[in-house]
Amino acid sequence: MQSNISLDKLKIGEKAYILEYLSTEIPAKFFELGFIPGTEIEVKYKAPFNGPIGIRIVHNNALIAIRKSEAEVILIDTI
Amino acid sequence: MNNPIIALLGNPNVGKTSLFNRLTNLNQKVGNYPGITVDKREGKLTKGAKTYRIVDLPGTYTLYPNSLDEQVVFNILADSNHTDYPNLVVVVADPAQLNRSIILYQQAREIGIPAIFVVNMIDEVEKKGLVIDFDKLAKKLNTKIFQTNARTGEGLEQLIAAFDEKPPLYIGDFAVPTAFNKALEEAKSLFPLHTEYATWQFLAQEHISFISAEKNNALARIRETHKLTTQALQKAESLARNKRLSMDDSIVRTQADSSKGDPTHAIDKILLHPVFGYVLFFGLLFFIFQAIYTWSGPFMDAIDEFFGYLVSEIHTRLPEGPLVNLLTDGVVAGIGGIVIFIPQIVILFLFISLMEEIGYMSRVVFLMDRWLRPFGLNGKSVIPLMSSVACAVPAVMSARNIENAKERLVTMLVTPFMTCSARLPIYIVLIGLVIPDTTVWGIGLQGMTLFGLYILGIVAALCSAWILNKIIKNTHKSFLIFELPTYKLPDWKNVLLNVWDKTSGFVIDAGKIILSISIVLWVLGSFGPGEKFNNAEELIKAEYPTLSEEELSKEITSYKVEHSYLGYIGMAIEPVVKPLGYDWKMGIGLIASFAAREVFVGTMATVYSLGDDVDIEEESQKATVLSRMRSEINKNTGLPAYNFASGISLLLFYAFAMQCMSTIAIVKKETGSWKWTLIQTGFMTGLAYFAAFVAYQLLK
Repeated sequence: MQSNISLDKLKIGEKAYILEYLSTEIPAKFFELGFIPGTEIEVKYKAPFNGPIGIRIVHNNALIAIRKSEAEVILIDTI
Repeated sequence: MNNPIIALLGNPNVGKTSLFNRLTNLNQKVGNYPGITVDKREGKLTKGAKTYRIVDLPGTYTLYPNSLDEQVVFNILADSNHTDYPNLVVVVADPAQLNRSIILYQQAREIGIPAIFVVNMIDEVEKKGLVIDFDKLAKKLNTKIFQTNARTGEGLEQLIAAFDEKPPLYIGDFAVPTAFNKALEEAKSLFPLHTEYATWQFLAQEHISFISAEKNNALARIRETHKLTTQALQKAESLARNKRLSMDDSIVRTQADSSKGDPTHAIDKILLHPVFGYVLFFGLLFFIFQAIYTWSGPFMDAIDEFFGYLVSEIHTRLPEGPLVNLLTDGVVAGIGGIVIFIPQIVILFLFISLMEEIGYMSRVVFLMDRWLRPFGLNGKSVIPLMSSVACAVPAVMSARNIENAKERLVTMLVTPFMTCSARLPIYIVLIGLVIPDTTVWGIGLQGMTLFGLYILGIVAALCSAWILNKIIKNTHKSFLIFELPTYKLPDWKNVLLNVWDKTSGFVIDAGKIILSISIVLWVLGSFGPGEKFNNAEELIKAEYPTLSEEELSKEITSYKVEHSYLGYIGMAIEPVVKPLGYDWKMGIGLIASFAAREVFVGTMATVYSLGDDVDIEEESQKATVLSRMRSEINKNTGLPAYNFASGISLLLFYAFAMQCMSTIAIVKKETGSWKWTLIQTGFMTGLAYFAAFVAYQLLK
């Protein structure tokens, strides 16, 4: 089953693997903080009215926040 | 003698500052890096006959800079001619995020700097159920690994003993992906003296400040011919390094359930809750501002009393004369005007640094980003905007950690609209004069007006941000990514040191300006041209032969001010302020306020011949000022000078106008541009004039 969607579509508590970025404008800092293709992530928190999303990087248990607009260009494979 | 320089390098929230405080044992100072205003924390450590210079570099995830703070790190580590170029770098790591620190360590070594590796917060290893193979780590990094707990001092001696060590040769771990080989070869011919990795770093950044313009251009041409972007190069490196690290995952293992014993998630469930999270945040804000006003009260009274006592002591001990007056009314009053702000600044920064220490500040960014983004601001703008309620000077400085240049600029430009504590005394006096002391639906009208003025400040800041956002072009796409660190108990030493740094910074930086302005004002107010000023005493005595000694001297003071340089300036600008409903006396107050708002009340008291040591905090004296001001008649209109229309007009003027030399100075320093500083000053003051004009013309 094809399950490639963007990261912002995930609900709280859902896990996924990062596949790729749809934009080249995303700075390298996303990689440096752990959003590397192949990484397992879990959505933990969402600020209301399309605010930032809090995402746990599963392998090192780090909690990273990004904007919804950035989550939209991160393609994931749901687990 | 050149002491060896030891630089501490590490991610944010790894306890680097605690380690720095331990190593230097308070023997430290905070300055600025030349040209830019990134805090430079430096200290001394003496061991036996040797002294080391310890430099605490700003926290960063990699050597690639995303913000001004991170730029400093790269410039120091990559430029061997830099005055702070270290002899040894100590990479400080969080055991839970070892890989990130390993990458930072590798980057430092490959760029050509000797480095050792410290795993700090070693107590967390057990708490989080981690198992670290230190031997394997040492082998991988080819260096000694140290284990410390900066909060208890554990492991520090061994670390200090290693400061003279020369770490063994390090072979790079990063193989440049073959796709970039050609470009890198071309770049290497430009930098024959640098390591290959240093050259790669140069190629992977837009602009390197310490190399020549020709070489920067040459690098840009290489990127262009090979169709490379700096971000692509940086990502390729990050990808390659992480891949290497994940192949070797036997260094750190997590035992059993790692989330056990970590209350962060449970706390975040409440603090990041879509409803309670905001309720708690605004509750906390409310508490902080209550604390700023109520807790600081007794301290401010004590400071005020002390300076009053000082002035009277000087007057009794020293002979009368212009020099003594300069000392009391210029210097002592000026210093008093600075010191009086200390309690509020201390309390504000106590809360801010506590919030940062605990890890709550990034949660505030998480909650607020959504609401500030439509105005072209960033979640991180919350901190400057909030701090600005105490004072715009430290607030503008706190905009530094905003990565996006445009968002940082907009934040700095709109921050002074927020109602700072210096506006408060003016608001209190003016509201007391023109707003009736009655209640509507059980709410005090005067208190409501004060609250309204605070709201007005916020609205003005957000609206101007919105306008600026439309005008200023963005060079980089706005993005936001930040870590929400695990909650920690605060390290009180860090908190207190931070409060001390910020407070002393205010006293020295803003203090210099406030002091010099108050001296200039004293001179302008104490001297005047011609007969009328010099013979004021005879003239007044002739005019009011029946007055008592005390009243006579007040009349003389008032007459003197009227005919002093300051008085003439006030009269000269009267045509400008007349449409706003002010007379020349209020004009003097306005001019004086351009130095700093807080001098308004004192200046008005002088002009209205009440003597200038009026304390509006004290009820009886406040009543004196109020009744005197209430009975003042504007000679142009024949109406009371402070009627409803002119009072509202004055309140609006103070709410919007840029009347603070210290803020202008700090904005110039932080933006590095006179253009933006002048635009800001012009815009704010123009808006103030416009609002005051409209209000007066409608209400009169």
